[in-house]
Amino acid sequence: MDDLTREFLIESQEGLDRMERCLTDLEERPQDKELLGEIFRSVHTIKGTTGFLGFKRLEKLAHAGESLLGLLRDGKITAGATLITALLHLLDGLRELLKTIEAKDNEGDGDDSALIARLEELQTPAQNAKAKNAVAAHPAREADAAKAGIATAEPQPAAAVPIHTPAAPPHPIPAPTHIETQAPEPAEAAADAAILTPAEASKSRAQGAASESTLRVDVALLNRMMNLVGELVLTRNQVLQATAADPNMTLLSRRLDMVTADLRESVMKARMQPVSNVFSKMPRLVRDLTHALGRRARLQMEGQETELDKSLLEAIKDPLTHAVRNALDHGIEPPAVREAAGKDPEGTLTLRAAQEGSHVVIEVSDDGAGMAVEKIRSKAIERGLLSAERAAQLGERELLQLVFLPGFSTAAAVTNVSGRGVGMDVVRTNVEKIGGKVEIDSRLGKGATLRMRIPLTLAIIPALIVRSISQSFALPQGALSELVHIPPDRASTAIEWMQGAPLYRLRGRLLPLVFLDRLLMPGRECKLFSDRDNFIAVLDADGRRFGLIVDSLADPEEIVVKPLNAVLKDIGLFSGATVLGNADLALILDPGSIAIKAGVTMSSDEESAQAVEEDSESEAARMRYLVVEVTGRQAAVPLADVLRIEQLPLSRIEYIGYRPVLNFEGQLLPVEDSGGILAAAQGDPEAQVVVVVCRDGNRHVGIAVSHVLDVTSGGNLFEAGTGSRTEGVTLLKERVTSVVDLGGVPPLPAHEGAPQGWQQTAEVLG
Amino acid sequence: MSTEISALHRKQKNEALVEVCSVRVGITLFGIPIQHILEIVGSARPQPIPLAPGFVGGLIHYRGDVLTTVSLRYLLDLPPLDSAQDVLVLESAAGCFGLQVDSVGEVLTVSGVDFEPNPSILEERRRALLAGAYKLKDSLLVMLDPERLDPARLDPARPGSAPRPDRAGPTAAPAA
Repeated sequence: MDDLTREFLIESQEGLDRMERCLTDLEERPQDKELLGEIFRSVHTIKGTTGFLGFKRLEKLAHAGESLLGLLRDGKITAGATLITALLHLLDGLRELLKTIEAKDNEGDGDDSALIARLEELQTPAQNAKAKNAVAAHPAREADAAKAGIATAEPQPAAAVPIHTPAAPPHPIPAPTHIETQAPEPAEAAADAAILTPAEASKSRAQGAASESTLRVDVALLNRMMNLVGELVLTRNQVLQATAADPNMTLLSRRLDMVTADLRESVMKARMQPVSNVFSKMPRLVRDLTHALGRRARLQMEGQETELDKSLLEAIKDPLTHAVRNALDHGIEPPAVREAAGKDPEGTLTLRAAQEGSHVVIEVSDDGAGMAVEKIRSKAIERGLLSAERAAQLGERELLQLVFLPGFSTAAAVTNVSGRGVGMDVVRTNVEKIGGKVEIDSRLGKGATLRMRIPLTLAIIPALIVRSISQSFALPQGALSELVHIPPDRASTAIEWMQGAPLYRLRGRLLPLVFLDRLLMPGRECKLFSDRDNFIAVLDADGRRFGLIVDSLADPEEIVVKPLNAVLKDIGLFSGATVLGNADLALILDPGSIAIKAGVTMSSDEESAQAVEEDSESEAARMRYLVVEVTGRQAAVPLADVLRIEQLPLSRIEYIGYRPVLNFEGQLLPVEDSGGILAAAQGDPEAQVVVVVCRDGNRHVGIAVSHVLDVTSGGNLFEAGTGSRTEGVTLLKERVTSVVDLGGVPPLPAHEGAPQGWQQTAEVLG
Repeated sequence: MSTEISALHRKQKNEALVEVCSVRVGITLFGIPIQHILEIVGSARPQPIPLAPGFVGGLIHYRGDVLTTVSLRYLLDLPPLDSAQDVLVLESAAGCFGLQVDSVGEVLTVSGVDFEPNPSILEERRRALLAGAYKLKDSLLVMLDPERLDPARLDPARPGSAPRPDRAGPTAAPAA
C-alpha cells in the first residue's frame, strides 16, 4: 500500500470518528448547523480524496451520503431518528470499506446499492416519513446491527432496487470562504487540535500553522522510545551512584540526571492522550444499546480532558465498553419499571474520569436498580463458586466483588447484550493486566458504580528504597506521607501495645503499625531493635493510614517498573520489581495490599476525624514549623523551607576563614551556627552534628541544631498595646519561640547561582 | 503445548538429529531443546522472594527485564544448593522465565531413534514435569519441556497447573 493511501485511511478514520460523535450529538440538537457542517465535511473529504485515489465503490457511497447531508445542511430536510440511523449505517458502511481497503488494498466486490438506495430515498421529506415506517417494520435488523456494536454494512437483499442515476442536486463544492464561515466552534477546535488532519488544515488557512507543528508518530516507535528511556533511567541511576564520590563528575552526572528526567517526561507526555478518545465512542454505543434493549438513558461524561498513557487508554477500551453494556442491561431498568419505582423514566449513565495522585480513576455509574446482594449470594452458591457457609460469612462489599468471578451473572435471562457472565470477568482481567484495580459499589434501587483505578503510567515511578530482612524494597512515593526515625535508645518505649496490636503515637494520634519483616517472614518477633536505628514509613494507601516498620532507608530513586510473573503477583504484597542503581533487584511494595493483608481498615468515624484534621491542617499549613533545640533554647524553622535534615560527623564541616560550610552533594552550603554548637563540639573526633538544610529564596543554607523536636503549627503573637503582629517570633506549644531568620545568614564570599532542585525528603527525627 | 512437543518428537524420529542442551541437576543429566533457550546466565544468584511458592527460585535481571526463576532442585525434591547456580532463560507461551540448574553442560546432538516416552512406572508428579528421555551411550538424557516448567503452570492455585510435588513444611522459601 502506498503512503498516500495509508494517509488517506488514517485521515478518513479520524473523520469518521468525528462524524460518529457529531451524529449522536445531532440527535439531541437536530438543528445545529455546526454539527451538520462537520458531518458534511467528513463525508465530503472522503469523497473528494477517494475519487482522486480511484476507489469507485467508496466514492459512490460517500457521494450518496454527501447528497443527503447537503440537503440536511441546507435545512431542506430535518434529522430524525430514522435519518440518523441511516447515517450511522452509512458510517458503518464507509468504515467497512476502509477496513477492506486497509486489509486487501482494494475495495472488495461488495454491493452497496441497498444502502445507497436508502440514502437516496431519504432525500425527499415524504419518503423520509415512509422510510420511517419501513424501518419500524424491521426492528430486528436494526437491533442486530446495534448488538454487533460495530455494525457491518447493510445486507444486500435488494439487488432489484434500481440504482438511481444521480438526480440529486449537484453537491456544492465548498469554496474556502465557505468553510471559514463555518469554522468549528472553539471548544471543538481545541479537541480536534491533537488529531488535526493535513487535509483539513490545507482547506483552512487559519489552521495551517497547527498542521506544521504536529506530526504523526507510529505507536510502536513511541513504545520503543519509552523502553529506551526506561533503560536510560536505570543507567543514569547507576552512573549517579558510581560517581557520587567523585567531585569531578558531579556536574556531569547532575546534568545527565536532569536531561534524563526531562527526556522521560517529554516521552511520557508524547504518549498521553485525553480519555475523550475512548469516551467519545460511548454515545454511539449507548444509543444503539438503548434502542436494542428498550431502555431510555442519558449519557453524561465528566473529566474528558483527563490524560492517560496511550497504551493504557487502549487497554481500558474493552473494559469500559463492557461496563457500559452491563450498566444499560442490568443496571438501568426499562422505562415502565422506572416509572413504577417513582424514578425518571430516562436513566442516567455517568462516565467520569479524574486524576487522583498517580492514578486515573474512571467511574461508570448508573441510577438503575443496583445489585441485590442476596441474589449474588444465592447465585454464587448455585453456580458452585462458593460454599454456603463461606457465603454466609462474607460481608456486603465482599459479596459485590464476586461478580468479577468468571462465569458469574445475575441476569435472569441471558440476553445478547450481556448476561453470559463473561463481561465483568473480562473487565477485571483487563484492568488488572495493566496494574489497575476495579471495584464495584451498589445501592439497591439507587444504582451501581464501577470504579477502575488505572495507573497514570506503567513505566517509571518515584520510590523510596527501604531495607528489611537484608533485602531492598521499593516503596512508591505516592503513598508515602512521612518518615519517622526511632533511635536505638527509644526503641523499647516508642511502640505502645494494645492487646497485641502495635501502635505509635504520631503527633498525638495512634498510628497502627505493620512490621515489614514480620509480614515477609511470618513467625518473626514483632519488636524494634535497640541496637540500631528503626524507621517507620507512614503510608496512606486508599484512605488506610498506617506505619510500616523497616530496618533502614536508602535513597529515593526513580524506578522503572517491571511486571512480575502472575505467580508472584498472587502473593499480594508486591506490585512489580525493579533494577536499582547498584544493579540489585528490588521488589516494589504495594501499600494498599499490605494494608489489607495486615488488616488495616478505616472506620467511618476515623475517616471523618481525619477529614476534620486535614481541614484544620490546611488552614494552618502556612504556619507550620519545624521545632528545633539550639543549646537549650527552642527555635522554629518554617516547615515549607526545610528541605532535609542531615545528621553527619563533625569532620564533614569545613571552614572558609571562620565561616563554617558544608560540602553537601557537591554544593557548598553556609552553615549558621548561632548557638555555638559546632564550636562546642570541636575537638571531639566522634562528634555528630545535626544540620537542617533550608531553602532561602533560591539559595540553600544549613542551620546547626542540637536536636530536632517536632513539627507543629504556630499561632501569631500580637504586641500588647499596638496589636501589630510581631515578626520573628511565634507561639509554639504555648511557648514563645523565635523563628530562625534564614535571610540573615550571610552569603558565602563566592556563592554561585541557585542549586538545582533536588528531591525533597522530609525526615522527622524522633 | 505438550501435543506440540510429542508432535515434535514424532518428527524427530523421522528426521533423526536434534540438538539438545544438557544440564545437570544432582546426579541426573537433563536436556532441553536448544530452540527454547534464549540465553544462559552463568553463576547467578537469584534474588529470593519472600512468601513466594517454593518452586520459585527468585528474580534475575535479564536484559532490562526482571525474570522469575524456577528451581529445578525444588521440583525434584532435592535439597537447595548454597553455591551460585546457572540459569537458563527459557521461552514459553506465557513469556520468559529462568530455570535454575546446578550446571550447564555441552550441546548434544541426539537421534530421534533413541527417544523413549515417559515410562509408565514414573510417578505421576514426575511424569508431569518430564518429557521422555534419550538413550545415550552410558546414561539417559531426561528431556524437560519448558511449557511444563512455566511458573504460572506450576502454581497449584492457577487453573491448568501441573500437579506439584507436595512436601511437608512451609512452602515459603525463607529469605536469606
